[in-house]
Amino acid sequence: MERVSTLERAIRTVLIVLVLVFFLFPIFWIVLMSFQNNDQILRIPPSILFEPTLANYTTLLTGKLQTTAGNLDIAFLKNLGNSLLLSTGSVILSLILGVPAAYAFARFKFRLGENIAFTLLSFRFAPPLLVLLPLSLYFKQLGLTDSYFGLIWIYQLICLPLILWIVRGYFEDVSPDIEHAYRVAGHSWWTTFRKIAIPLARPGIAAAGLLAFIFAWNNFVFALILASADKQPVTVGALAFVTASGIQYGQIAAAIVLSVMPTLLLALYAQRYLVEGLSLGAVKG
Amino acid sequence: MFERGRDLTQRFVKGEISRREMLKGASRLGLGIATTGFLLNEAMSQAIAADFDWQKFKGTKLKLLLNKHPYADAMIADLDNFKSMTGMDVSYDIFPEDVYFDKVTAALSSGSSEYDAFMTGAYMTWTYGPAGWIEDLNAYIKDPAKTNPNYNWEDVLPGLRASTAWNGVPGGALGSDDAKQWCIPWGFELNNVSYNRKIFEKVGVEPPKNLEDMLAVAGKITKDAGGPYGIGVRGSRSWATIHPGFLSGYSNYGQRDFDVADGKLKAAMNTAESKAYHKLWVQMIQESGPKNWSTYTWYQVGTDLGAGASGMIFDADILGYFMNGGDNKEAGNIAYAPFAANPAAKAPTPNVWIWSLALSSFSKQKDAAWTFMQWASSTEHDLFGARKMDFVNPVRASVWKDEEFRARIDKSYPGYLNQYEKSSEGSKIYFTAQPLFFDLTTQWAETLQKMVAKQLPVDEGLDQLAANIDKQLKDAGIGG
Repeated sequence: MERVSTLERAIRTVLIVLVLVFFLFPIFWIVLMSFQNNDQILRIPPSILFEPTLANYTTLLTGKLQTTAGNLDIAFLKNLGNSLLLSTGSVILSLILGVPAAYAFARFKFRLGENIAFTLLSFRFAPPLLVLLPLSLYFKQLGLTDSYFGLIWIYQLICLPLILWIVRGYFEDVSPDIEHAYRVAGHSWWTTFRKIAIPLARPGIAAAGLLAFIFAWNNFVFALILASADKQPVTVGALAFVTASGIQYGQIAAAIVLSVMPTLLLALYAQRYLVEGLSLGAVKG
Repeated sequence: MFERGRDLTQRFVKGEISRREMLKGASRLGLGIATTGFLLNEAMSQAIAADFDWQKFKGTKLKLLLNKHPYADAMIADLDNFKSMTGMDVSYDIFPEDVYFDKVTAALSSGSSEYDAFMTGAYMTWTYGPAGWIEDLNAYIKDPAKTNPNYNWEDVLPGLRASTAWNGVPGGALGSDDAKQWCIPWGFELNNVSYNRKIFEKVGVEPPKNLEDMLAVAGKITKDAGGPYGIGVRGSRSWATIHPGFLSGYSNYGQRDFDVADGKLKAAMNTAESKAYHKLWVQMIQESGPKNWSTYTWYQVGTDLGAGASGMIFDADILGYFMNGGDNKEAGNIAYAPFAANPAAKAPTPNVWIWSLALSSFSKQKDAAWTFMQWASSTEHDLFGARKMDFVNPVRASVWKDEEFRARIDKSYPGYLNQYEKSSEGSKIYFTAQPLFFDLTTQWAETLQKMVAKQLPVDEGLDQLAANIDKQLKDAGIGG
């Protein structure tokens, strides 16, 4: 076994601590800010010692924002709910459509197959604003403007290519011989897909689903252009704390903490799949 | 009791009893201030309903697009009165200011009929108007069948009426006889000095009298106040850096952004006087401005004043107004002063930002939408907002004369009325209306940044800027 000297261990610990401080300090500071009022946050010089307050979280949960200009109604929880609905709905739809498609692209050679796959990927190339204005005209004609269904559909531009291309790689990694053996035993194509292919590619599907969720969660512009104020996600809703009468730094920090939670919890839960899944895809031979 | 209170407020509005008698009566009936205010406003709404058929569009549903702003809050607080007076239903979408104009542009450029009326700035109508996205409101204001006889359009401050009207010709004078009224002024801000009284007392200085004095006062604060810097002004790479204090001071020296001759524009920011002004401005920021000046927007300028990090700002008066309340550390310590940058000028000449209401050309119920707009910009609503909410600055001359409003402002905002009165006559938009407004003004701000960063001497920078702008004007077919 390799021996590590005490000095080396100490240096390694110090370096790890430094790296952690560098990356985690902004998050740590935001969490601290979320328990302070504006006056405490704007102190010169800033201080780590303060009397904590839950007022920022209370404001977000009750939907009443106190500003210099009086009380304002805010809809942060509604925004949070919209983000959850839009991100979850679009990832589920993308998985339903994308996983079988990825399997087809990985296993079968068919006419224009690569072209279709590349076209789907090319949705990711277009700057969103470029396509949004024409899209808003189509949405109006189809009666999809300002509907969750329309938004989840548009979110496929984000989620579907991601899931399709990542999961395709995983299916290609799995040897077709296992599936062939199962088919020889008299099982149908559909059963083979369900019982063999999907379980083997599960880490990749989980990783792709999580990444798609994060991308969908962080999207800003689709709902802004295509929907009313009551269907806006948390990325637009958080801007409500930047008002003409001042910036509510404490509430912004609390909103960040709350809006990071769902993605963080999901990432922690899916961590083992994510690491395994990403590393599998990375060494594709 | 409620009915008797209603009777009382109606008698007051009719002039049968005095304010004191009404308040006494309300207190005898045990009505709180809020309830009395509500009844009074209801009575005023009914009074304006007397001479005009406000019920003409009963049952119509309107939708508004609003920016999250105290003006919108004041309107929403009073909206039930409009609904009960007209029988119309009004819904609204409110978006944060950071993304508000993206939403407006997307809605208008796609020809969406979702929104009937919306909030806008006057500068934006220089794009929306010629594009055919908004209506010329002269057709409504001047039509007695559409506008109630008590609307009193002339009561709206003349500089604001003119600033929101343009004939669509690049360089055309705002408010000219052939101008189209693209929007109705709703609330506005003018640019003067807001300062921290405690810091001024500590250092022993008075509000500056002109730009050179401002440099001296700001320098003394930076040197002697023990932390705070002297003067907060905006500095980000945006048109919004040029439009507040900077252009107000610039105009005070009689300088213009463009010369207009025979319908053609020529950049005018490289005159000798302009260069002298720019040098003073740049020196002021270098010596006494914030450290990260080039990132400063409305928010940073205001936050620093409210937190005691700056001694004064030369920016919107309502920014100083907001910083004097809420949980700001310096709430209660902010005071206001008129500011004429040019020692030879008789009075200040503040450039203004006007939050206005515009009527979408894609609305399918324009007459009904105008009914809402005239109510929202009526004396009665303006008065309600100014007295009870933060609908400051009001756009109507009669509201500025209202004693209740004046008493409220005078009590908590020392010098605010004075700075307004000294500068209201000269308050208007000093930019030349033209379609490249946002691009060219942003380039001006970029040049200013280079000057402050000492990457470019002022004289050379302004000559370069003027040459670049002239080329772009020519390319666009509007340069001379």
